[in-house]
Amino acid sequence: MFTTGFKFFFGLFAAFCVAALAYGYTTGGNHVGPLSLGWKGGVGDHIGYGVLVALAAASLTVSLVLVSFRDADAAAQAHLQNLAEVMTDQPVTPSFWPVVASFGVGATAVGLVLHPMVFVLGLTLVTLALVEWTMDAWADRATGDIEANRELRNRIMAPIEIPVVGALAVGVVVLAASRILLTVSQLEAVTVAGVVSALILGGAWVYATRPGLGRRLMRTLGVVGALLLLIGGVLAAVAGERDFAHHEHETHEEHGEPTGGDHGG
Amino acid sequence: MTLTEPAIADSEASLAAGGADAPSASTQPVATHPVLAQPFVTSDATTVGRLFVVASLLLALGTSVIGALLSFGRTEAVDPADMFGGLNAYFRMWTLYRVSFMLLVVLPLLLGVAMAVVPSQVGAGNLAFPRAALASFWTWKIGALIVVVSVFAGGGWGAVDGVTGNENDAIALTLLGTAMVIVALLVGAVCVATTVISLRQTGMSLLNVPPFAWSMLVSAAVWLFTLPVAIANIVVIYADLRGRPAIAFGRAEGPDIWQQLDWLVEQPAVYLMAVPVLGIVFESVGAAVGGRTSRPEIFAVVVGLFGLLAVGGWAQDYFTAPQDLRDGLVYVAFGLAAVLPIVALAGGAGELVLRGTATPERLLDARTVGAGSALKLLGAAALVGALRVVEPFDLLETAATWAVFHGVVVAGLVAGVTAHLTWPDRLLTGSISQILGRGTVVLLMVGGGLLVVTDLISGFASDDQDLMALALDVNVTFNVINLIGSVLVVAGLAAALAAMATARRTATVTGRRAS
Repeated sequence: MFTTGFKFFFGLFAAFCVAALAYGYTTGGNHVGPLSLGWKGGVGDHIGYGVLVALAAASLTVSLVLVSFRDADAAAQAHLQNLAEVMTDQPVTPSFWPVVASFGVGATAVGLVLHPMVFVLGLTLVTLALVEWTMDAWADRATGDIEANRELRNRIMAPIEIPVVGALAVGVVVLAASRILLTVSQLEAVTVAGVVSALILGGAWVYATRPGLGRRLMRTLGVVGALLLLIGGVLAAVAGERDFAHHEHETHEEHGEPTGGDHGG
Repeated sequence: MTLTEPAIADSEASLAAGGADAPSASTQPVATHPVLAQPFVTSDATTVGRLFVVASLLLALGTSVIGALLSFGRTEAVDPADMFGGLNAYFRMWTLYRVSFMLLVVLPLLLGVAMAVVPSQVGAGNLAFPRAALASFWTWKIGALIVVVSVFAGGGWGAVDGVTGNENDAIALTLLGTAMVIVALLVGAVCVATTVISLRQTGMSLLNVPPFAWSMLVSAAVWLFTLPVAIANIVVIYADLRGRPAIAFGRAEGPDIWQQLDWLVEQPAVYLMAVPVLGIVFESVGAAVGGRTSRPEIFAVVVGLFGLLAVGGWAQDYFTAPQDLRDGLVYVAFGLAAVLPIVALAGGAGELVLRGTATPERLLDARTVGAGSALKLLGAAALVGALRVVEPFDLLETAATWAVFHGVVVAGLVAGVTAHLTWPDRLLTGSISQILGRGTVVLLMVGGGLLVVTDLISGFASDDQDLMALALDVNVTFNVINLIGSVLVVAGLAAALAAMATARRTATVTGRRAS
């Protein structure tokens, strides 16, 4: 049950504990100071006592690690798990969540210094990546069949992912489009909205009438359109909204003043 | 019925049906992604290792150029502060050069080599936690980006001539970027160490693992003991820096921040970069001459001892009076004892040569030359380190500190190149030619040697404490020799990158012809 390495280092731990107690009490320790790490009473010479306690802690840690890993002996691990040999080639499917987590950590760090919004975005990315990563890791080990694992994972995550991603996509489109329409002039806004609507309608009509068009082409067009919308939205948000002319009577009404029926604006 | 049961039932039914088309865990192909997407999604340790290697070598080239500019500033041809645009800017580059070579170049270079090589050495199909390995690369990469950008934006590890509000923010970013880089390296080290501990072939005991795998296990343990101390330093500095105004540790207007972190690039922590070098040297010599050691356990003990001497979180003179720390028995003992493992390893390498086939071709093989060069540079660094802690020489807080640093750093770079010569199939798709390999190693070796010698002479010649070594107190000739050393290191790194690119292109062309 207890491995050789564990016994050795646990013995060292016990020896260092005894040595620390002896050293503490013989160098001025009093009450239960050396027993309670100085909580009640003195521990004597701090440096010597500290070194011995640190060595004891290190020995205990090493002993626990060794017993956990069965003395780092692959044969012992295989015996414990009742296997002919320890499996070392379990496939791990490619995943982009580690990269998302890394970018999230980076955004968190930058946001901590520069802007709270970036910080929150970073934390959100890290949380999202950790949840997805955990599910991927679980699914990888569910069965020996990669396809079955993928199905299992999707069965749990797709009902969450699809609505969330859909809502996010709609939110981004609405936000970006509204920024663009609020930045350009009134006439340009009507023109932009009309042209974009016509393009969407035209694209859908072409796709419906010519289903032979490649999926890759449609996907590329979709990505390019989304990028254009996103870049336009960011640029528009940076530029700010256009000046809006407020009707005078509304202002007066807000202040409770009579307008007299002659409206400006 | 649980959620997994239908899928498991399907899987078992498929197996029971004859199994011809039933995939098994080890043979079923994992879904492939486009080549451009590979760096973002890969779960293959070799790919992650190569990413680390290429990125760190590119950063090495940039860092060595900064080093050459710093050396140029010492030639008195130009005022260093004017050259960089002020004393603060000079200080930023001076500190970036040191931190970058350690955290952005040598440690990730050797970690990348380990990720690509160690799994196959211990008989594992892949690295333990391959996704964590990928995350470690990208976290390191983004952290490195934050560090470099923030330093050039006026950040860095403190200043010497006051700071503005924006520079305070940039300094905070530099600190967070540094912490990210360290955490990423630790995650990568944990992946490698766990591979050696838990994924070894059944029947392979820890004493039987190949020397490089063992040296990486020791390195990972030492990094885990030491680097978190730097993170703790950074947390304390950051907390004080962001509190307004900084009251103790985070004072950015003076060099306090750097003084709390400089232990990382000085003895004994500087040897963190050297532990994996021992494994590469031993394996490269063995592979070149075809020899095997008779006593592998001695190598294990030697590397373990050297690793112990590289634990450096305790050697922080900011919190202890320098006289109490540097003149203390432990510090002196660590400095002197570091020579012993290098000497022992040289003896071990000699035994390999004697037991192998020591023909002139094998002794002049690029791998032997590389291993020998790395060992010589490491030996020179350890020797200077031993001289440095001997009180009568009065070399503490002088440029001799950087002689040790340069010796270890260039030894790490040479070891990285030598690893590519020893394990070309794991690190490259083709082999580096002998001439290019030898040329690269010689350039780095001579450059590193000149840096070590001139820094040591500068340390002996300086009349007072001059850690930043703004000028060599000897004569112009030595200053120029120092510059030549820096330029040779730049040339060596450029040659290494060119050699790797050539090897890769040759392999691609050969592969196309074969197909």
